[in-house]
Amino acid sequence: MTIGIPRSMFYYYFNKKWKYFFDYLNINTIISPKTNREILDNGIKLSTDEMCLSLKSYIGHVDYLKDKCDYILIPRIDNYGRKEQTCTNFLAIYDIINNIFDIKILDYNIDLENNETELEGLLKLSKILKKTKSEIKKAYSYACTMEGKEKKKTIIDNMNKLSSTKTKILLIGHSYNLYDSLIGVPIIKYLEKLNCEIIYSDLFDYKSTKDIVSKYSKNLYWKYSKQNISSLKYIDKVDGIIFLSTFPCGLDSLVNELVFRKINKPYLNLILDDLGGIAGIETRIESFVDIFEY
Amino acid sequence: MKCYLGIDIGSISTKGVIIDEENNIIASSYIWTEGNPVESVKKLVEILKQQLPEEYKIHGIGTTGSARKLIGIMLNANVVKNEITAHAVGTLAFHPDVKTILEIGGQDSKIIILRNGIIVDYAMNTLCAAGTGSFLSSQAKRLSIPIEDFGEIALTSKNPAKIAARCTVFAESDLIHKAQVGYSKQDIIAGLCKSIVLNYLNNVGKGKKIRGPIIFQGGVSKNKGVLKYFREILNEDVMVDENGHLMGAIGIAILSKKESSEKQYDLNIEDIKFITKANECNKCPNNCEILRIYKNDEHVDSWGSMCGKVK
Repeated sequence: MTIGIPRSMFYYYFNKKWKYFFDYLNINTIISPKTNREILDNGIKLSTDEMCLSLKSYIGHVDYLKDKCDYILIPRIDNYGRKEQTCTNFLAIYDIINNIFDIKILDYNIDLENNETELEGLLKLSKILKKTKSEIKKAYSYACTMEGKEKKKTIIDNMNKLSSTKTKILLIGHSYNLYDSLIGVPIIKYLEKLNCEIIYSDLFDYKSTKDIVSKYSKNLYWKYSKQNISSLKYIDKVDGIIFLSTFPCGLDSLVNELVFRKINKPYLNLILDDLGGIAGIETRIESFVDIFEY
Repeated sequence: MKCYLGIDIGSISTKGVIIDEENNIIASSYIWTEGNPVESVKKLVEILKQQLPEEYKIHGIGTTGSARKLIGIMLNANVVKNEITAHAVGTLAFHPDVKTILEIGGQDSKIIILRNGIIVDYAMNTLCAAGTGSFLSSQAKRLSIPIEDFGEIALTSKNPAKIAARCTVFAESDLIHKAQVGYSKQDIIAGLCKSIVLNYLNNVGKGKKIRGPIIFQGGVSKNKGVLKYFREILNEDVMVDENGHLMGAIGIAILSKKESSEKQYDLNIEDIKFITKANECNKCPNNCEILRIYKNDEHVDSWGSMCGKVK
């Protein structure tokens, strides 16, 4: 049995956990390649206009995998507790994919408000995966430990960058945008070319930065948005902030706007739609970085 | 004597200046790009060469504007920089106390906020060309009025028509509607100028602290109607420098001066054959559009490849 994992959306939050989990259980996985033009174009063809660029890309990744595996892994995430919801897409992707493609989906729920934990969800897969519940439990706890260790390291690296002597740019965006090879990576590469130190909004210890969110809004209930803006705890240590989002992200359009009005730092708001070329983006980034040099 | 050439190649117009060590303008020119940056720069350089006294030698070349990269290679420029920085540097050289630069060009519009001679913030329009020069000139064509007369005509109106200031598509249907119900041309043109200002302040200017001294630049700053409504709506004096259209070119010339060396440049580019070829690379699923630049049939540079391996 081979399980397909689209390299998009959930992948950027769960890839390590999934890797250790399936490796431990000795189950084959296939991950779609880094997003390329063909994947994105196929995704755009199969999606509707209202979907955000990231979701269109996700659909393209599923399209790539559809004939190459037995199941596609798609969790359905509602919330991580009260006021810790995810974007509706994270809840809806399962149904969207089910409607577009005729494929088998391996799905599980995360809905902590209704006591549906991640482990609970994975345990329900035991029949399909042909593993016993105790095997899954063991694999899950192994995956969590290993992921935790690696995460700690990346958090320390990210924190260390705050004391760099280069121009420090805090890059605020969703993980699935920041590390996508067509969305965030060209921007990151260009910033590195300009000799900037990039601090990532999603690589902080959310437990310790969480409190700062109420400074910007007391009513936000989107976990990943809250996590991103909680990085503003270190706003005094960076030179400038770049907000990166994909059109038409509902969460970002509200949350970023709230933040713009309350920060006193140079910031750049980049909203990407279908990506024709990087020239316009380069102009904006270069002139933004020039602020700190001239 | 040493001097420095700055060229600002915009979507609509190409601007060039030559400055000396003290930032005095020795030669300057402003011509239309006409969709062909290579040819218009050749033309521009010829004009500048004729204005340049014999004793001056060029020690630095800077390019800015949307075709900066291409022309930078063509002229062997020592500095290639975005137009926002160039505009700020150029303007600061003449107006060290400026706090806000409003700029409306052919295809984009921007606002630069400066405090104590340092850029602290800026914004640029998004992909939408609403409220830029190209919108004005297409409307001028539709009303068959030369764009140069637009400002003067707008000033004669006492009752500018209200025109939607969000999107050019809606603005255009609004315009047609106003004309059909019988508004005079003056009122419509004045309304159009006002909508440009409102659009600008609602889009790029949103949330920015616009404080005096304010300078208005870019091609649209030549339009007296737009200037009038900026003054009226901001309730502040808004200056227009007579060299405002050259500020980007001056700024990039100054930047090239800072980075200049003893190296001398000649400006004999008229006979250089300079061609660009675009094709799609089909070696991977990205299908990047590769642009190759040839100088006298010799491949000098290329860009557009995502992987960086394709030359």
